[in-house]
Amino acid sequence: MNADNKILVIGGGMSGLTAALEAAEAGSQVIITEAGPYLGGRVAQLHRYFPKLCPPTCGLEINFRRIKENPNISFYTMAEVTQVSGSAGNFDVTIKVQPRYVNDRCVACHACAEACTQWRVNDFNYGLDKTKAAYLPYDMAFPQQYVIDKSACSGDCGQKCLEACAYDAIELHMTPQTLNFNVGAVIMASGWELYDATKMDNLGFGVVANVITNMQMERLAASNGPTGGQILRPSDQQVPKKVAFVQCAGSRDENHLPYCSYICCMASLKQATYVREKAPEAEVYIFYIDIRTPGRYEQFYWKVRDDENVHLIRGKVAKITQEPGTDNVVVVAENTATGDKQSMVFDMVVLAAGMVPSTKASPFPLPLSYTPDGFVIQDLLPPGVYAVGTLKGPLDVTKSVQDGTGAALKSLIALGRRS
Amino acid sequence: MAGETIIKPDLQFVKRVIAAGGDTVKNCYQCDTCSVVCNLSPDEKPFPRKEMLQAQWGLKEVLSDPDIWLCHQCSDCTVYCPRGANPGEVLGALRKMCIEKYATPPVLAKAVGDPKFLPLLIAFPMVLLMLALKLTGHWNIPEGTIVYAHFFPTLLVDAIFVPAFFFAVAVLGKGVLAFWQDINAPHPWRVKVEGNLVGNLIATVKDVLFHNRFRTCETTYTRSTNHLFLVFGFIFLFIVTNWGFLNEWVLHVESPYFLLSPIKLLAMAGTAALLYGIWNIVKERQANAAKAGYGSYYDWFLIYVIFAVGATGLLAWLFRLVGIKILAYPTYFLHLTAIFMLFFYAPYTKMAHIVYRTVAMLHARMSGRGF
Repeated sequence: MNADNKILVIGGGMSGLTAALEAAEAGSQVIITEAGPYLGGRVAQLHRYFPKLCPPTCGLEINFRRIKENPNISFYTMAEVTQVSGSAGNFDVTIKVQPRYVNDRCVACHACAEACTQWRVNDFNYGLDKTKAAYLPYDMAFPQQYVIDKSACSGDCGQKCLEACAYDAIELHMTPQTLNFNVGAVIMASGWELYDATKMDNLGFGVVANVITNMQMERLAASNGPTGGQILRPSDQQVPKKVAFVQCAGSRDENHLPYCSYICCMASLKQATYVREKAPEAEVYIFYIDIRTPGRYEQFYWKVRDDENVHLIRGKVAKITQEPGTDNVVVVAENTATGDKQSMVFDMVVLAAGMVPSTKASPFPLPLSYTPDGFVIQDLLPPGVYAVGTLKGPLDVTKSVQDGTGAALKSLIALGRRS
Repeated sequence: MAGETIIKPDLQFVKRVIAAGGDTVKNCYQCDTCSVVCNLSPDEKPFPRKEMLQAQWGLKEVLSDPDIWLCHQCSDCTVYCPRGANPGEVLGALRKMCIEKYATPPVLAKAVGDPKFLPLLIAFPMVLLMLALKLTGHWNIPEGTIVYAHFFPTLLVDAIFVPAFFFAVAVLGKGVLAFWQDINAPHPWRVKVEGNLVGNLIATVKDVLFHNRFRTCETTYTRSTNHLFLVFGFIFLFIVTNWGFLNEWVLHVESPYFLLSPIKLLAMAGTAALLYGIWNIVKERQANAAKAGYGSYYDWFLIYVIFAVGATGLLAWLFRLVGIKILAYPTYFLHLTAIFMLFFYAPYTKMAHIVYRTVAMLHARMSGRGF
């Protein structure tokens, strides 16, 4: 096999897909590995995304089609790179593929999930609901193929699924597979995780009812989310009429994430429009230190700011408690413009939690240089290895896509130099 | 422009804050986390965010802001501060500068906060006491059983310590009156007082005695208990001192007193409470240093002086009981030195917080700031 024309892309989110497609369409052989059971990454979990505020399918569908039509691309879901050795032009890569227990014959008919007796917490919806232990990650998931969560499917649960399947698609005895590849370049695109909001003990996440994260808000607003696209607060499924957004929930904080997470201000402004569109009488309060709207996004900020039901209050929320006897949430902040400390009651509170690079929890299996916060330091990467998007610093989708294209080009140049 | 306020920043002032232990003041980005997590801070014009801003901008009038004294340095703000700006420590530095500002002469307050002057500050009372002994012909170790009044005549002690005490009271009084005037001067960030001065003062002193505000600290909750021991130790010993004065000049009861006499028992209780309090304050500060900061030299100066008063008092008593003359009299001499330092320097050391904080709390009570 000739490694010189092969590229490994780690991570099947927007950045990885872009890098993989651009390289493949320029003639390279590309292998994508994705840790989750579907491609599309974080973007797939959004209700709408910048800059066009279209639903995720509008960008992902086209990419999935490009993958299907391109024989140069192969991809592995539920796959993790466990070992990398060698150098630019000649990397030996080991990939471990976890069993899906469902094979390619699956037609996504849902019969297994119907028959399945057990439930699992739905991580796609950030724990807001549950799915059966046999599940499709989300309605537009690519590949359209169910997964069985064996850890949640004990006893005869698996057997029931197997019996329900009319297509011989379920293989309960699937085992982890180890695959070896020889590639010329590696593109790291394993993206980001949401900062664990329970770590901020003064913001009440996980303790105070109806305090949710910004990613949970995306899922609540999404039509394929736990509420079918209605924004309902978790405790009693009521439409929240007064919603607070707490900016810098963990970000720009030495005790948590010392950096600005770049996207949260735009996310909250965008989510303010979700609330306003779905409940026209609803009031939104955004508590901030600085509203940061990079580049052209400023215009979006103007639009939201001019909505008279949206109130921007300069002051960080540092205390969140339950209103006694209700499911409402008390938020305390000082309005630094007036110098008054205010306790305000809200139906629901959204924490604008920040980005943590996935390499923070699971470093890449090569000795790389990271910042203290776990971000990859681009300039210190070994030749032939490239990092994309949020692995290097918090970034939005648009810039991640541009970065993906850049990484594809860099890989092609690196491969070209060697041939 | 109507309502325009022209601010006059003073760069030197910022440098002084930084030098006084507020070296993190510039880290603050005014997010207001501190004002919210502070249990002592009122809802209207809360602290310490606005004090951080004033200190950062070099607005000297922050030293006449009563709110710097409402802070008990619980350090809840410092723990939650996202920028490591340590508002608790910055306000501590501002309080030090406030004491300096209202002290007469201010140079003594500067000396108290500067380790360079420590030898001089110790030498002054020692030389004074030594001279007093020499000039009255008492500079020797007396014969017979140990009676401290034979070594340092009571009249001589009173002749030195009573004026020293009233000097301190006068300097503190002058400072606190000027402070009271300044905190009642019109200012956009301050609130007016109203109501009965005496009644409110009594209520404030009650709050102070029972540490009702201090107890709302979270990060350094145990400090209030330790401090309470210290305060009651002082109160007991203050009663003992006055009782002794009465014994000497009115009732004509000679010291040393019987071991189980009420005055002696009270003295023992006071010393025990004082030593227990100060010992735990030291331990607490060390244990909490990572979260709440270790404190400045200015803080530690007072801690060590109080510790010296308690330790030398206890030792002088023990040495007298077991009859080791050669240790007893010098220890008693050191005990007097330490007491002189505690009282005479009180208007310049952190000891002055007794009056400034009480007055600030009175002001807060009378202006309806959540008291």
